[in-house]
Amino acid sequence: MDVSQYLEIFIDETREHLQALNEHILILEKEPDNQDTINEIFRAAHSLKGMAGTMGYTRMQRLTHDMENVFSEIRNGNMTASDDLVDVLFKGLDALENYLDNIVETAAEGTEDNEDIITRLNEILEIGTGKMKEVTKEAPKATSSSKAEEKPAVDEKAKYTSFVYAEHERHAIASAAQQNMKAYGMTVYVDENCLLKAARAFLVFKALEDVGTIIKSVPEIQDIEDEKFDFDFSIAIISPESIDKVQKVVANVSEIKEVVISEVSLEDANNQDVVAKEETVDEEATKASEIKVTSEEKSEPAQLAQPAQQTSAQPKQGAQNNQAKAGKPVVNRTVRVDIEKLDVLMNLVSELIIAKNGLVSIGGANREARTGFNEQIEYLESITTNLHESVMKVRMVPIESVVNRFPRMIRDLAKKLDKKMELYMSGEDTELDRTVIDEIGDPLMHILRNSADHGIESAQVRAAAGKPEVGTINLNAYQEGNNVIIEVVDDGGGVNVDKVKAKAIATGVITQEQADAMTDKEAVDLLFRPSFSTADKISDVSGRGVGLDVVKSKIESLGGDVECHSTLGVGSRFIIRLPLTLAIIQALMVEIGTEKYALPLGNIQTIEDVEYNEIKYVQSKEVINLRGSVIPLVRMDEILDVPRKDETPSSLTVVIVAKGDKKVGLIVSSLIGQQEIVIKPLGKYININKIISGATILGDGEVALILNVNTLV
Amino acid sequence: MEENIIVNETKQYIVIRLGNEQFGIDIKYIDNIVRMQRITRVPMAQDYFKGVINLRGEVIPVMSLRVRFELEDDVIDTKTRIIIIKMDSQSKVGILVDQVKEVVTIGTEEIEKVAQGGPEGSGQYLDGVGKNGEELITLLNIANVISD
Repeated sequence: MDVSQYLEIFIDETREHLQALNEHILILEKEPDNQDTINEIFRAAHSLKGMAGTMGYTRMQRLTHDMENVFSEIRNGNMTASDDLVDVLFKGLDALENYLDNIVETAAEGTEDNEDIITRLNEILEIGTGKMKEVTKEAPKATSSSKAEEKPAVDEKAKYTSFVYAEHERHAIASAAQQNMKAYGMTVYVDENCLLKAARAFLVFKALEDVGTIIKSVPEIQDIEDEKFDFDFSIAIISPESIDKVQKVVANVSEIKEVVISEVSLEDANNQDVVAKEETVDEEATKASEIKVTSEEKSEPAQLAQPAQQTSAQPKQGAQNNQAKAGKPVVNRTVRVDIEKLDVLMNLVSELIIAKNGLVSIGGANREARTGFNEQIEYLESITTNLHESVMKVRMVPIESVVNRFPRMIRDLAKKLDKKMELYMSGEDTELDRTVIDEIGDPLMHILRNSADHGIESAQVRAAAGKPEVGTINLNAYQEGNNVIIEVVDDGGGVNVDKVKAKAIATGVITQEQADAMTDKEAVDLLFRPSFSTADKISDVSGRGVGLDVVKSKIESLGGDVECHSTLGVGSRFIIRLPLTLAIIQALMVEIGTEKYALPLGNIQTIEDVEYNEIKYVQSKEVINLRGSVIPLVRMDEILDVPRKDETPSSLTVVIVAKGDKKVGLIVSSLIGQQEIVIKPLGKYININKIISGATILGDGEVALILNVNTLV
Repeated sequence: MEENIIVNETKQYIVIRLGNEQFGIDIKYIDNIVRMQRITRVPMAQDYFKGVINLRGEVIPVMSLRVRFELEDDVIDTKTRIIIIKMDSQSKVGILVDQVKEVVTIGTEEIEKVAQGGPEGSGQYLDGVGKNGEELITLLNIANVISD
């Protein structure tokens, strides 16, 4: 047996633990006395160490071990989390992440020892605690094992005491005694929430084989591997190590709830198969050496109730909390599915929809005597719509997986830039299509860095301007119709419009006349032009002028858009709008001239019939006055260069589309109707204008283009 | 020349006709040949792209070789074909040609390289001129033809 089959579990869990450590150390930095946080940190570091050790990643284990020592001292109140210490701890986490990245790529942890971090950690430890290290180490264990009321349960839990040893096993125990080795019996309890019991059991066996020889297990090893056991299994082992050591080795495996262990003498082994009742006598003798360890998971479930952490990124924790309340295990039942398999499923649904649209167009052709046929089509339509929705939901991921690394990033930036700032996030549970999630991280990071570097002023400047010294950056995510909005709001200096204009003129982006005619909003939009940065000095955070234009093009390639509102001295607000789904949408099919186009329904407000004489002119542009608001008109046939139809209709069909609070009326030739369409890319070689976001195949096999109306507003 | 022994390799080409001229396209890039079908115009694309077609559920852009080579615009008749090109694993692209004639096998020694310099637009699309019996076939560098 080798451990490679558990590599994936190891990687996933390590990521989880590292993320938890990052989050909690951030909290610790602010609230050095928060006992729950310290416990949480200790627990995560402890599991991490055990896992790395089991998998044979010794460098990783060593680093976590030294970090754990520090956490242990903090937990025991022997030292506090100084700024200096937190910095080193974060460095340590980064180093662990590097190990993990190496493991992901090559299955080996690499050769970097990170001596400097380890040395720093130990220095801090020395300074913080003096020489009291060794004494305090055993303290936490003593408290957790001395819970008097749990003692009676121990006897029942020590299932190994009822082992019936075979002749050769007895022989092994006897010869062990001669070789100065000891035989131990133990019963290992796996956490009820554990998803892969067999893997845990395997890790236990693996760990035990390192310290001794397993002579017996109930159930048999094969059965354990096949997951044929409840939540406990019993083992007899011969080992030269002390009982504490053996027990610790097992307890270090994560998701092991409890290990009940005691020494087994040859007499025990001989007697047990004679009279079961008599065992209690022997029991008394061994009880003294019996230690019951409950891992941190078990001893502190009630204290885990930290509202900020109870989100889906830590299902384990959430589940435990529920367990504490409801008294029964609640496990997040998830299956990992390869995204490619989902893509295949999605494509099948797409084709089903195309086929359905084909039926619809046949059905429409000859309407009489086809009511039955139409009913069936409607039935099929409702099935495909539901199927689509559920497949879509499978692909949805909360944006939390992207944004949870930002608090740490902002903290580091604040240190680096020597500014004071806080990041507040809301709506982390807003869900987006997996493909969008994978792409949105970098643009968001750019915008946040931008806010931290250019937006938030230094503490002195802020104080002088009468603002609180600590700047705030808010990251809010929420759903709006068919879009997901992500806002990044800072209360910094805002965009200096004059400076932007001056810079733009200097670099030849615009002329002086253009600058004079520009509104503030248009000037702010200059920031999104390629190679534009107003920062006077280039920092390594941002300011190289490759930021916002990249952000914009990235977001547009995802079918979304980004805009910026800014008030000088008050702050800036970046609004990112992203489509909820990328594959199938509801659309209004329209005819423009002789061609058919699809308009995403999510953007459409209303459809109006407008008489020619209702068209007014403002600055020689066509507008209509619709129920009190003036809406500019766009002649789609001119924009799209469509050959015109010969006849002129008596009135205009205007589709009112909206982006945010801005509206535009699109003049189309006629309406075809609402349809569910499958978005297809146009291929790589053809250059398409931003106004076209893709193509779709209609029921009759014809290709229609999808218009990105956001670009027209 | 470094290679004294010339290995006589042969390649297969599909011969197409554009007006009076014959061109060869390396067969390994050809995914499919389909009859003319309805093309949906794509506004504001390169002028040599006629638009997009639906090839069994896939949307594929179609370019006109005639427009690309600055010849007269296509006249669609029953011989007109769309050759679907697939480079490596990248997306497909269709090429509109007047006629697909035959598949020929041409040995490397029968290919004459053409001078690359040439006026803008002509040389870069060509790999050389191959002889098939009495006929001359201009071999296309299809990668250059389909990319910008």
